[in-house]
Amino acid sequence: MNDLLKEAKDLVAGCDRCGTCLTVCPLFKVRDVERSSARGKNAIARGLAEGGLEPGAGVRGAVEFCLLCRACADSCPNKVATDEAMIRVRQVLTDRAGGPTAKYRLVGAVLRSRALVGLGALSLGALRRLGLLRFLPSALVPKEFPRKAFLAAFAGPAALGGEAPVSPAQLGTHARVAYFQGCGMKLMFPDAAEATLKLLGGLGEVTSPDNPCCGLPHLAHGMGATFLDLAKENIALFEDADLVVTDCASCGGALKHLASHFREDPLWRDRAAAFSAKVLDLTEYLVRMGYQSPERRDRTYTFHDPCHLVRGQGIRRQPRQLLEAAGTFVDMRESDACCGGAGTFHMDHPEAAAQVLARKTSNIEATGADVVVTACPGCLIQLTRAAEASGGRFKAMHISQVI
Amino acid sequence: MPVTTLLDELRLIVGQDHVLDGEVDRFGYSYDSSFLPLVPARKPDLVVRPRTVQEVSRVMALAHAAGIPVTPRGAASGRTGGSVPLEGGISLALDRMTDILEVDEANMMVTVEPGVRTMDLHDACAARGLFYPPDPASWKFSTIGGNVAENAGGMRAVKYGVTRDYVMGLQVVLADGAILETGGKAIKNVTGYDLTSLFTGSEGTLGVITKVLLRLIPLPKQRGVLRLMFADMEDGCATVHRMLKEDIVPSAAEIMDDVSLEAVARHRKMTLPAGAGCCVIIEVDGEDAASLDGQYERIRHVAAACGCLEFKVAKDKAESDELWAVRRGLSSAVASLAPNRLGEDISVPRDAFPEVVRRIGAIAKKFDLLIPVFGHAGDGNLHPSVLCDMADAGQAERVHHAVDAIFEAALAVGGTLTGEHGIGITKRPYLAQALGETGVRTLKAIKAGLDPKGILNPGKIW
Repeated sequence: MNDLLKEAKDLVAGCDRCGTCLTVCPLFKVRDVERSSARGKNAIARGLAEGGLEPGAGVRGAVEFCLLCRACADSCPNKVATDEAMIRVRQVLTDRAGGPTAKYRLVGAVLRSRALVGLGALSLGALRRLGLLRFLPSALVPKEFPRKAFLAAFAGPAALGGEAPVSPAQLGTHARVAYFQGCGMKLMFPDAAEATLKLLGGLGEVTSPDNPCCGLPHLAHGMGATFLDLAKENIALFEDADLVVTDCASCGGALKHLASHFREDPLWRDRAAAFSAKVLDLTEYLVRMGYQSPERRDRTYTFHDPCHLVRGQGIRRQPRQLLEAAGTFVDMRESDACCGGAGTFHMDHPEAAAQVLARKTSNIEATGADVVVTACPGCLIQLTRAAEASGGRFKAMHISQVI
Repeated sequence: MPVTTLLDELRLIVGQDHVLDGEVDRFGYSYDSSFLPLVPARKPDLVVRPRTVQEVSRVMALAHAAGIPVTPRGAASGRTGGSVPLEGGISLALDRMTDILEVDEANMMVTVEPGVRTMDLHDACAARGLFYPPDPASWKFSTIGGNVAENAGGMRAVKYGVTRDYVMGLQVVLADGAILETGGKAIKNVTGYDLTSLFTGSEGTLGVITKVLLRLIPLPKQRGVLRLMFADMEDGCATVHRMLKEDIVPSAAEIMDDVSLEAVARHRKMTLPAGAGCCVIIEVDGEDAASLDGQYERIRHVAAACGCLEFKVAKDKAESDELWAVRRGLSSAVASLAPNRLGEDISVPRDAFPEVVRRIGAIAKKFDLLIPVFGHAGDGNLHPSVLCDMADAGQAERVHHAVDAIFEAALAVGGTLTGEHGIGITKRPYLAQALGETGVRTLKAIKAGLDPKGILNPGKIW
């Protein structure tokens, strides 16, 4: 049996088929058939490994119809990691098919290349400046609601003109802090990335190496070898830094878990472990540094927990703490339910993603918040769409832009 | 009838999206939560998901005419293979029928469709101060239709009884598609045979449940949860029995042995006192805080006399929820200890509980197997789990002997094969031993009368 398939089977061995996961899976809520659920997917992994199912289009469709959001694993009595099993099964299917589909190959190739990501960012930036973004499908490029617009839109008598000054606090200047910029931030949310750099710069010296992709999209779509190459590049690139801070939950989650992929590799094991140990999410870093918002705005915020932040990194308290200090904070129902973005999921399954998002939108609206804040460009794409759908009842922003 | 015509007919009845015939879907409806192997898969030929009783009726009429097997299914959380389509045919999934049709506060009754999840039903009633007590460990995800079909028990049986004690009436679609209504809201009702009871626990072999009328009771105002640790099962059992004798009736008294305890401790922050080999989780309810405090004191007294090592009262709802989560996740946690688990569900007279636990201990030793035990100490229902690796031929042989011995032990002390999971597929071989030939013949006569072609859930019970 293929090693990866055996790994997948071992990962789901603890599945007792009880059905707890059926109640929490966001996709089961929109398509309530067995194969949507984690139980169904665990069974598929076992079926493939034990010879009860043949790999084919149906199986492929089922294992790709997964947000990898970990809601199932979180609620499972045995903590069965269906997401990790699915990543392996996807790799197996990709390998058997002789490589990823053309679409994923293209996405993979673009994200693999720093030059292409840079070029993409440049041309999107140009289109943005020329006001031509509306000619591209919003799945490709969401409209960003930048901090300047936020300040203009929400400028009340208490916030007279100009950008808020960056905190003068000079904490932890001894640490060599490096910013890890994810492809999503670079391509889609340059204003938010800039705000992050400014926040980091306000706390001490920060470098911003020209890093390649974290590799998560490759890992998720059966390009495991590319993932490992990218990981090695990043490990080497950040070797001199004491801390690696990222404002992308998905990058953060992937980078913090790099070490686990090199456990069996004597050459890279220690370097990968050292690298993973110094990765911090932006919110985690700010709270640890005692960051204080320079001013409190008369605005109501709510926070959408990115899957890769709340379940991927166990970060729930920090963003709330930062937002409570920056304005009024209201928690939404099911704040940690996936928004349906999930990398390229919203492009592959637009209808299901839209239904998952609709639930999120109504939960946001119920809070009456002015701004839904998040910490992942993938989620921000979806939430921007939610903001549009709600007819301007709220805005969607990255946390670095509002604190 | 040619297959394509049949498919078209079914699609016409329930809608295009609700007939599934793809390989992956057929596989997805081939298993439940029993320990039957996943492969070779018992795939249905089709999955049909009706929304109304009329749709169910038309599907059954069609299946009856064509002689197609139909296996009704809720959330497939059953433990004995009841919803596994043993002979192919149609997997009739009722999980789209999810309406709570009426909460009749005056009569204290609720009418629901079969696909309503048990916890949702409980919560909807509780919101009006009414209580639906049966709460199988699976209540978060199991459906009420499945609970009725299997006559599910749960944690609160010691004080409040099982599902059957609350079913007042049913709407059932018979094998030929006819719609039968049984029972009703009248408390006293002896009009003819008790068909409501007949269909309750019939495991989908006599009809398809499409509506359920349930009796409710007032919701207890206060509830408290306790965790007691003991050195061994003997002390834990003794505590529960002395409580009951002294008329302290808990709403639940759950017991688990050392291996079960370890299994849950792996996933949850549980600090166990030194030497703890048994945990009892007790729930009590009452009118007010003073009533709970009184019960705590009396339980503390009894427990201390039985060698209780640690006595803990949950101080808030979060702590209570955590204690229940430990118990509810137990079955799955134990299952994850070994490649295979044969989870059994025997039920014995309450006073025989310690004896049968002792006998199971001896069986484990004799066949050199790990057999953790947990269960409902208050009502005599226990779940020994034979942990094993069925890929190991030598072990598999011993496992089968051990399971036989467990059933023998249960019957020997005046117990029965199943307390709440039903016979399904996994307990068929033992049925005659439990009921006798006349008992089995009587069941079969009822089956033949209601389902002469044998299309409803074939291969189950016997």
